Amino acid sequence: MNIYIYDDYLNKNKYSRVLNRVEIRLTDLGLNGKIIRLGAIKNIRDVIQNEIKSGAKTIIAVGNNQTVNKIIGAVIDNELYGFFQKNILFSIIPIGDDNSIADSLGIKKEEEACNILLARRVKKIDIGIVNNYYFLNKATIESQGSIIDINGEYIIEPQEKGTISVFNLKSSANDDKNIKVNPIDGKLDVYIKNKGKDLSFLSVSKLKISNEHHPLILDDIIEIKTPADINIIAGKLNVVVGKDRSFE
Amino acid sequence: MFTKDNKPEKFRDAETIIGASIKVKGNFHGEGNIVVEGQLEGNLRTEANLFIGDKAKVVANIEAADAIINGEVRGTLKIHQYLALGPTAKIIGDINYSEISIEKGAIINGQIIYVSNSGKPSRHQESQEELSEDEAETE
Repeated sequence: MNIYIYDDYLNKNKYSRVLNRVEIRLTDLGLNGKIIRLGAIKNIRDVIQNEIKSGAKTIIAVGNNQTVNKIIGAVIDNELYGFFQKNILFSIIPIGDDNSIADSLGIKKEEEACNILLARRVKKIDIGIVNNYYFLNKATIESQGSIIDINGEYIIEPQEKGTISVFNLKSSANDDKNIKVNPIDGKLDVYIKNKGKDLSFLSVSKLKISNEHHPLILDDIIEIKTPADINIIAGKLNVVVGKDRSFE
Repeated sequence: MFTKDNKPEKFRDAETIIGASIKVKGNFHGEGNIVVEGQLEGNLRTEANLFIGDKAKVVANIEAADAIINGEVRGTLKIHQYLALGPTAKIIGDINYSEISIEKGAIINGQIIYVSNSGKPSRHQESQEELSEDEAETE
């Protein structure tokens, strides 16, 4: 069974036409399923996990990056229902702006997303984790004042203002063209860019970042105080992807 | 082998790049090519190739397969295959090499020890050497 999770903002009138188109297309393709609207739910984690326990096979985020971030934890954070989740697929139907995660999975437009969902091209990708929060795309923090500790073996101290980005999945819309990220290699790709052209890069499986003055930001949404341990869980999420994804 | 360019093609896909605005402290161990343009203190080891840029300042013992050095290094160099010192290289410490090229302007303050691929040091040893004339090439 397919479970479609609609974000709050889709209640606005301006999205009614596009939602109608998507729903008609899904019906045509025989991909009907249960619709859950985030606005009416306080504990989305319990709701999604109950659906998984009841036999849901595919969880589809209908919305944008924030929608993905809101529900991704519920899809994968589970010891109790681990057996049920082994074959759970995750997909996105992007609607509106701020859809770089869908873009990097090769899902550009809402109607195309329906066809991609039907095609069921699946990749098992890594997930970044910071404390109890997950991220698909990246964790970022201001460079100045930050200290990166790599496995207690060495530390990195940026000397100028700029941004530290810890990538799991490249967001092709916003991120530098020179940045190469592979979400199926079990590694986090750390890029440190100053205000000029200087770019540093390394690939690690875990790191610790601390900064007394700036928070760590996950997928441009969640702010986390540091010090923060950033880890990767390899091959944790089965995602439905399009041909034009940003990785092999 | 390395060319005389500042940064050969193969370093474009380096596993690690330490940029000019970065300072690294500790034991840095990699398996792929490493580019250092910034500061590094501690130990630096890679199974592959190492490039040290002309603005880089490295206070570390270094071990690599091949290396091109254009910046300042204070520490012992152990290069298993080929070492190229550029015109702006400044090495304060001993050098263990198998093959080496030294460009005019490079400064070396330490012993230069030939080590064959089998790992045994030979009798070729020089010390307190400063090259300021023609480009020299040994072994």
